Amino acid sequence: MRGCLDHPAAQPFFLDAAHGKRFCIYHAPALELDCCGAFIYVHPFGDEMNKTRRIAALQARAFAAMGFGVLQIDLFGCGDSSGEFADARLAIWREDLAIAKKWLEQHVAAPVSLWGARLGGLLALDFASRVESTIEKIILWQPVVSGELFLTQFLRLRLAGDMLAEGMEKHTGTRTMRNALAAGEILEVAGYELAPALAAAVDTLDASKIVPTKSAVHWFEIVPEIGRAMQPARAEVVRAWKQEGVDLQVHMVPGESFWSTQTVSECPDMLSATAQIFASGQT
Amino acid sequence: MTMQSIEAIKNILADVLSLGDRKTSLNSNSALLGSLPELDSMAVINIITALEEQFGIVVDDDEISAKTFETLGTLALFIDRKLAE
Repeated sequence: MRGCLDHPAAQPFFLDAAHGKRFCIYHAPALELDCCGAFIYVHPFGDEMNKTRRIAALQARAFAAMGFGVLQIDLFGCGDSSGEFADARLAIWREDLAIAKKWLEQHVAAPVSLWGARLGGLLALDFASRVESTIEKIILWQPVVSGELFLTQFLRLRLAGDMLAEGMEKHTGTRTMRNALAAGEILEVAGYELAPALAAAVDTLDASKIVPTKSAVHWFEIVPEIGRAMQPARAEVVRAWKQEGVDLQVHMVPGESFWSTQTVSECPDMLSATAQIFASGQT
Repeated sequence: MTMQSIEAIKNILADVLSLGDRKTSLNSNSALLGSLPELDSMAVINIITALEEQFGIVVDDDEISAKTFETLGTLALFIDRKLAE
């Protein structure tokens, strides 16, 4: 991969938005190249955001070196942006993406695309389905396909936390936690204060119901080894989308689950697979 | 407990916890919870998710207990029991 010496350094800044500022990093396209496009990076949820930070930065630099501009934005209540996680709402995140898109359109004379990792993939699909202008491409990195399932897995973190902290044989199940959320209680899960409104909104996100018919979609799926198939529930979304005529290419990439590994994973195959698709001009 | 489940669980533990060479020293008596510093709440959930995918099982909330994660052997017994259901 080409390093960061042949294009301007990543530029960090704060973007004015509702309820404060958003931390952004802009990777400008390499100077000597014609700008081929621009991406907004939509980060994952909770700790997956942190685990994915390095691989996303490496990919953003690779995109910039290839002539794409990349804007990384920390959504409200996440990362270095304003707000507490407990105050984060899906509606604010949608506005954040709209602001990011506007900024990018003012700085790059090229079509804007989205690149989302994990829950960020689902957020990218949701955003693309709501904007009037066309999103040229959507890159999905191991997208979450069911907000409901994802939320259950997230809530399980608290269950495991209880188990580790006290070795308790009796702990709060995810159903009880969901009931508490439904009753308007804020839940602390793995250090994140989850508000009922955010949980309810994430619950409704479902990739099989957000069919991205207006964009070219590249879905990058990590598998433990070459030749392994996609999990059935995920393959079902792919099948449904193709039936709806979605311009979809699925790329199976052998590698580690970089969003959840214990140590930060660079997952070089994911980087090279993604770069290759966009370098070869087959989009 | 079956050797297959022990080996498969060793691989999952090594992958999820990034154990590297320490994988080879694991056996059914190896203590997990409280002994492997990498085994935090997120790792427990990732291991459960990986086990569900690998063995095609569904683990209910009330089956997740500290006892199951006591040793590699207790985890393998749990998997064997789930597979026999």
